Amino acid sequence: MASTVIGAGITIEGEIATDEDVVVAGTVRGKLSAKEAVTIEHGATVEADVTGGSLVVAGSLTGNVTAVERVDLQSGARVIGNVKAARVTIADGAQFKGNVDMDV
Amino acid sequence: MAANATVIGRTTRVRGRLSGDVDLKIEGFVEGEIAVTGNVTVDAHGMVGANVQGRRLTVRGAIRGDLVGAEAVVLEEGARVVGDVRAPRIAIAQGALMRGLVQTADDGAARAPAVRAQQVAKPAAATSRAAAAPPARAHAPANAAAPAKPPGAALPAPPSPHRGNSSGARRPPPPIVPALKKMKGQLLKKREH
Amino acid sequence: MPVLASRATPMAQPRTTTRDGEARIGSSARIRGRIHGEGNLVIEGHVHGDVTVRGDLTIAEGASVSSQVVEAHALTIAGELEGEVNASGPVTLAAGARVRGNLRGSAVAIDEGARFSGRLECEFDLPPELGGASRTEGRARAAGRR
Repeated sequence: MASTVIGAGITIEGEIATDEDVVVAGTVRGKLSAKEAVTIEHGATVEADVTGGSLVVAGSLTGNVTAVERVDLQSGARVIGNVKAARVTIADGAQFKGNVDMDV
Repeated sequence: MAANATVIGRTTRVRGRLSGDVDLKIEGFVEGEIAVTGNVTVDAHGMVGANVQGRRLTVRGAIRGDLVGAEAVVLEEGARVVGDVRAPRIAIAQGALMRGLVQTADDGAARAPAVRAQQVAKPAAATSRAAAAPPARAHAPANAAAPAKPPGAALPAPPSPHRGNSSGARRPPPPIVPALKKMKGQLLKKREH
Repeated sequence: MPVLASRATPMAQPRTTTRDGEARIGSSARIRGRIHGEGNLVIEGHVHGDVTVRGDLTIAEGASVSSQVVEAHALTIAGELEGEVNASGPVTLAAGARVRGNLRGSAVAIDEGARFSGRLECEFDLPPELGGASRTEGRARAAGRR
């Protein structure tokens, strides 16, 4: 499926909703909801509540995260917020502050 | 497209402000404001309810909003635009439709249209007096709904015929309304005494 | 602008060639007055006055028309035109055109490089997601939203 790419250098303040995959390399402030995979790349800044099918975070995320399947915080990720998903992994080197709820 | 390209996919809907030093390709729906320094392409499926500022704007979809290109605005076949279009160079292909003002540079009597997008941030204060249309974002502190944006970012000052003047004649920034009110109160108090 | 006699009053003798309903105002012609005709018209000279033709109007490169109203079926502009344009057919601005005035036609095409200042008023509806047929109210709404 085609994907939406929020490239490095762009700032979006507002709400993003999509049925596709989303890759965020830039800055998003507000709200992000996708039906499929959400990837927050290293260097990205997300200050928003994020919902998606699945979520991979390598950048900075401040907000609550809800994923249907899984949330993976990779090394280098900085996440402040609550995470709710069926499966959650937090890699060595990821920074995380918040609650984890795996009771979906 | 540049490596920095942002793509708003076909099923994606964005409501808000898009800004940055990037190229932008819109295949989905965007409502709000778009002010980037790169090229903007709205493809045949794209729908934009926003003023758009960029370097070169290429439109094949539908737009309700004003288009300001620092370099050019090109409406290709299939474009449907309701709004004003300003750029040094403007092309409208057979099969493109629009309703609004069109202004290229150097047509003799007309004022110079919008300059480089990077200069947008500077005349924002000056044009806020001149522009009658959406001045809300120029008074950022007063507008509680607008997310606070650092002044360094490109502000999409509404395209207005006065922009050509603002770069030459630097108007003083608009008076700060709360301060005036305060002074007025003090003046009244003085008179009473 | 005064409207003079309905027949063109040339200050110089224009060369006009009638060929299958086409009239031509040569490049040396300078005309002050209203021009109207049934067929096609090619203006290569300089006209100061309203132009109304039933057929197609061409304003050639180097030509100029300064008027309040220009009416034609199809209109092709490669020179200078100032005035309101009402065309029942397509309006085309070539790259060297310089036009000031509002254009109305069944379709409008502007080559990159043409200089134009004025309004375009094509008849069409935006998709419903962008407010459909509403014109100025929609724009005011979008402008006042933020």
